[in-house]
Amino acid sequence: MRENIQTASPAVVIVGSGHAGVGVAAGLRSRGWEGRIVLIDAEGQLPYERPPLSKDLLVPGAPAEPVPMRKESWFESRGIERVHGTAASIDRGRREVRLADGRALHYVKLILATGSTPRRLTVPGADLDGVLMLKTLPDARRLAAELAPSSDTAQDAARHVVVIGAGYIGLEVAAAAAKHGCRVTVLEFQDRVMSRVTSEPVSRFFEGLHGRAGTEFRFGAAVTALEGTRSPDGAGRVEWVVTADGARHRADVVVAGIGVIPEQGLAADAGLEASDGILVDAGGRTSDPDIYAAGDATRFASLYDGASQRLECIQNARAQAEAIAADITGQAPPAPEVPWFWTVQHGVRLQTAGVRHPDDDVLLRGDPANGKFSVIYLRGGRVAAVDTVGSLADFNAGKKLVAQRATIDPSLAADPSLPLDQAIAPLEPAAL
Amino acid sequence: MPTTIIAVDRDGTRHSLVWDEDQTLMETLRDNDLPVLASCGGTASCATCHVYLEEPVAARLGERSADEAELLADAEGFRECGSRLSCQIGHDAAHDGILVELAPEG
Ligand SMILES: Cc1cc2nc3c(=O)[nH]c(=O)nc-3n(C[C@H](O)[C@H](O)[C@H](O)COP(=O)(O)OP(=O)(O)OC[C@H]3O[C@@H](n4cnc5c(N)ncnc54)[C@H](O)[C@@H]3O)c2cc1C
Ligand code: FES
Repeated sequence: MRENIQTASPAVVIVGSGHAGVGVAAGLRSRGWEGRIVLIDAEGQLPYERPPLSKDLLVPGAPAEPVPMRKESWFESRGIERVHGTAASIDRGRREVRLADGRALHYVKLILATGSTPRRLTVPGADLDGVLMLKTLPDARRLAAELAPSSDTAQDAARHVVVIGAGYIGLEVAAAAAKHGCRVTVLEFQDRVMSRVTSEPVSRFFEGLHGRAGTEFRFGAAVTALEGTRSPDGAGRVEWVVTADGARHRADVVVAGIGVIPEQGLAADAGLEASDGILVDAGGRTSDPDIYAAGDATRFASLYDGASQRLECIQNARAQAEAIAADITGQAPPAPEVPWFWTVQHGVRLQTAGVRHPDDDVLLRGDPANGKFSVIYLRGGRVAAVDTVGSLADFNAGKKLVAQRATIDPSLAADPSLPLDQAIAPLEPAAL
Repeated sequence: MPTTIIAVDRDGTRHSLVWDEDQTLMETLRDNDLPVLASCGGTASCATCHVYLEEPVAARLGERSADEAELLADAEGFRECGSRLSCQIGHDAAHDGILVELAPEG
């Protein structure tokens, strides 16, 4: 039996209440949309900020509660309905979203803001207890409990934590674990940390930072198995992480931070174009004019150079949400924004404007030994991205240079005593 | 007694808002539909919550943190006295009645 949740007034239905979903709801109301807004979410709790899950919420003395994205009363006063459930399918002909429990919701516009799921380890032993991932609040609570030494056993004081993957999240977890006094080993397949998102000088700087806190790194490490003693019913807890070189790493807790997979199933099953991400245009439109998608779940052309990309960051989720809200309410699209990212590890902030490519020219500004420096990425002579480490002084200036695709004088830009925008060199008229 | 503030929009419109005890100033502005992007969710990373406070109020807050100072130094319309990141300002009943002006976007 299908129960229809009131279908009387036109509803914008949003699947997923992460930053993208809540962003669309907020954007619609602030732009004057008066129809119903229904937010469906599988997590079933007040939408919260995700970045602190791997930062403030993991360290010793962390606050018990997450930071809500908005207060409960905000949703109520804005008439934004929250439905706890999992969207299971879309009937595009009837314009209905069906939930796993059989309920159906009619939409005039549907937004898929389903986010992403952490990639799972597939090696033998990945099902053992103590093997964790980090995406949701319950994940963060479980991990925080594992990192905190409990009073029952003395050996708990120095728990062995193995982090698989030295990306943003893996390293943030490694830093939190070190703060708890855990013995931390980071296993990374590449030859340096954060190799996907940043350049060698930044990687080495952060490696040093973690190293001084006692964290050990194994690069070129391919995990082949997790081992633990199993009881006859098959249950057991992880004890060792084995790598392809035959090394065995002691582990009381294993955290996998090996990337995310966009949640595109709903879209793909409904015949929308999706290929490692739901394909959308700059307005968040899918191949169905009544269906939009935003956030981690999407793939789209870079505004900088047209390259097909996914961006897993708050900035992107919010910007796409605003573009969708503008489109639905018939307003001018918001000005495009340079994508940006941040991470905080051992109290040092890395903040990036723009998206770097591995073959960009790299210009170092300042001395990593001082703990404050920037790296400028040049593509075809133009500023494509800027990393700032330990100081935000270059961040806004760098973002503007990326937006302008500015050409700069490298010797001026390398001098940290000059403001970055003073390094802009005259544009060559013939340049791209 | 609720804490109320006067928020001045970028077009000069004044709004009287109630500042709840469990919110930062940024959250109060944002949740009352003032055009504060707050892209970073209040982690002193983006400067889109930049506001101007009156001198005595700013003085009461003390020094800016290093992150706040670096981000603001470069922000559109920075004022040495008065520019603050509203996400870094927690509720304080002493702020009852203050005037908060949104800085330009950018
Ligand atoms: C631990 C952690 C730390 C991070 N730190 C940073 C940071 O410092 N800076 C930064 O820029 N980014 C950070 N990110 C990335 C950032 O959180 C994401 O880019 C952002 O949350 C994406 O928002 P979203 O709305 O697209 O998806 P999500 O936040 O993933 O939300 C999607 C929601 O949809 C729900 N959902 C999915 N499918 C269904 C369905 N079928 N039915 C109902 N509900 C469904 C999910 O339950 C989920 O709640 C971090 C991510 C994590 C996990
Ligand atoms: S909200 Fe980003 S700096 Fe305040």
